[in-house]
Amino acid sequence: MIAGLQISAIIFAFVMVYFALIHYKKGTLNGFEIFSWSVIWFAAIFIVVFPDIIRVFAKTFLFTRLFDMMVAAGFILVIALTAKSYITTKKLEKKLEDLVRKNAMSVLKKSKKK
Amino acid sequence: MKIAVVAPFYNEEKHLDKFIKDVRKTKLPFFLVDDGSTDNSINVVKKHKIKTLTHKINLGKGAAMKTGAEAAFSQGFDAVVFIDTDGQHKFSDLPKFVKALKNFEIVFGSRNMEYGVPLVRYLGNKFASLLISLLFGIYVSDLLCGYRALTKKAYEKVKWESSGYAVETEMVIRSVKAGLKHCEVPVATVYLDNIKGVSLMDAFGILFQVVKWKINL
Repeated sequence: MIAGLQISAIIFAFVMVYFALIHYKKGTLNGFEIFSWSVIWFAAIFIVVFPDIIRVFAKTFLFTRLFDMMVAAGFILVIALTAKSYITTKKLEKKLEDLVRKNAMSVLKKSKKK
Repeated sequence: MKIAVVAPFYNEEKHLDKFIKDVRKTKLPFFLVDDGSTDNSINVVKKHKIKTLTHKINLGKGAAMKTGAEAAFSQGFDAVVFIDTDGQHKFSDLPKFVKALKNFEIVFGSRNMEYGVPLVRYLGNKFASLLISLLFGIYVSDLLCGYRALTKKAYEKVKWESSGYAVETEMVIRSVKAGLKHCEVPVATVYLDNIKGVSLMDAFGILFQVVKWKINL
């Protein structure tokens, strides 16, 4: 029998597929990206419905319960994604700042030419 | 020594007209940096037929100060004086900076209670000054005062990364790390707009940055 927690996880995964589709329609994600995200979320649904298929990993990594391993993996994933997103944002901020400043300074170059 | 005034502004249509009239009276060359204003500020500047360095989008005070400083130094100036355009700073204090720049590489303006700084801001400022003093060994009595000056050499050494309100604090920390000769000059302050300036959220952001600088610099 599927537990409430599993139902919530499945609903969440479908909502995420829906969001991915919206962004695909808006043109934010390309064909490869929507395919990848769909594979990821459907794989997540499959694991949620049949958790026993990853029980072997829990034993390998010495987790007593499968749920504990899922929580630990979730934390690692969230922290890794946050770090990645922070670095990407900082890089973009820097590029944007350089571009805006360069554009502002172009006034001086124009007046020099005149 | 060739000195220019650098004045970044963001949505200052109310005060800009008076500011431009006043800055012209000083006879010092000046650079106005529009940090992506969305109000009528740019039209006020156009009315005076002045060329402005314009950020297409709002980047923050630190970024605007950097643009202004780089523009001035690229035009052959030896030093710049930063001043706020909201009428908070008095041009009568400008000669103090010009005089101090002859002997010091970086000059910090310092407001005090006698000149009408609100108590909460004054206490917050004192706390920040003490914290920086403990962590970096430099005591600047008014850490967040935007009225300050620096030479081109000093700018090369303290070139800041902060794009927002953390710029003043970063400048102080980098100046001590670079071993620059610094001093403070007392300046008068008029508080016209209570909403503007460093908010509590900005202050927490700066605090976080201070920890980062302690580790990185």
